[in-house]
Amino acid sequence: MSKDLKFLVVDDFSTMRRIIKNLLHDLGYSNVTEADDGKTALPMLQAGNFDFLITDWNMPGMPGLDLIKAVRADARLAKMPVLMLTAEAKRDQIIEAAQAGVNGYVIKPFTAETLKEKLDKILGTAGK
Amino acid sequence: MANVSVLKREYGACLEAMNAAFLRGDESAFLSAVDHIVQTRTPKMLSEIRKLTGDLQQALDRFSIESRLADIAENEIPGARARLTHVINMTDEAAHRTLDLVERSGPLAERTAREAAALLEAFDTYRARPPAVGFEGVARAVEAFLPVVRSIEAFLPAARADSEQIRRNLADVLLAQGYQDLTGQIIRSVIKLVEELEHALGDLTALSGGRSELTPIENNPSSAGYGPVVPGVTKGEVASAQTDVDALLSGLGM
Repeated sequence: MSKDLKFLVVDDFSTMRRIIKNLLHDLGYSNVTEADDGKTALPMLQAGNFDFLITDWNMPGMPGLDLIKAVRADARLAKMPVLMLTAEAKRDQIIEAAQAGVNGYVIKPFTAETLKEKLDKILGTAGK
Repeated sequence: MANVSVLKREYGACLEAMNAAFLRGDESAFLSAVDHIVQTRTPKMLSEIRKLTGDLQQALDRFSIESRLADIAENEIPGARARLTHVINMTDEAAHRTLDLVERSGPLAERTAREAAALLEAFDTYRARPPAVGFEGVARAVEAFLPVVRSIEAFLPAARADSEQIRRNLADVLLAQGYQDLTGQIIRSVIKLVEELEHALGDLTALSGGRSELTPIENNPSSAGYGPVVPGVTKGEVASAQTDVDALLSGLGM
């Protein structure tokens, strides 16, 4: 699998965006762009051929769940792999996110191994 | 009956006219006197009804503010205290984790630097030797270089292991900083509560001062999320670890 994948990392906390960006770098993915909520992320996704979306849930402006729904509703983005990376841990929310069409769900605090495992699983690169 | 004089002043003339018209059998004069009394009375009644309605509205407003305040005091404030205590614990944990990793990495980097310095010194000593002359000279030079080679052999794997360990520690330091996001979300929820409290108290003061415009309560969209789980505060069924999430999702066929 190509390591040139273009990632968009959406989180309202810049510290978390830096953490995710650094972890992606460590995994060999260096093409990472950031956005601080769904409202800024959506036009970026629509404009800039991204390959992978990692988003938080609880953000002012447009929450991550709404962003995912908007992505799935957009014909050009509908198939984009989406990983939700969030502190939201209620059972109902996880089910809601699954129904909205996430490809993976990681709860914070998380480990580098968990992130790698979910990325590999979604990208079909497990064991490679 | 102090008011009788007021009544006399307001209605006396009209009542006399009404009575006179009645005795005369003058219907239109009689009815116009009745109309006059009604017209005198109605605005007063309306203003009294208005005042009553206003009082009722204020009482209802006060009741709604007071029950909001009671709910905040009973449920939200203890919850906020638990949230902030959780924040202290999280920051404490993250700071110690970071400090531990820094303390563990320092000596590794120091050891690598110290051993590299010793190697450099051995090289310098070797280079400072007089040039090797003849077969024996070359043999002596090789012999003198052997300890340096052994030192390099010992140094390289140790330096690699130390650097790898430092790299891992740095990755863990990186992850430990995630506390800022999580505690930030929790603190934000407490700030929201303080704002709500401020508005409720402000409304109560305004109401006592006669003003009655209440601050509208902002409701977040249902999709906004609840923030990080706080032990003892978060209600409902929550996933406490990634394995719970994985199990739930695989149960859903993901």
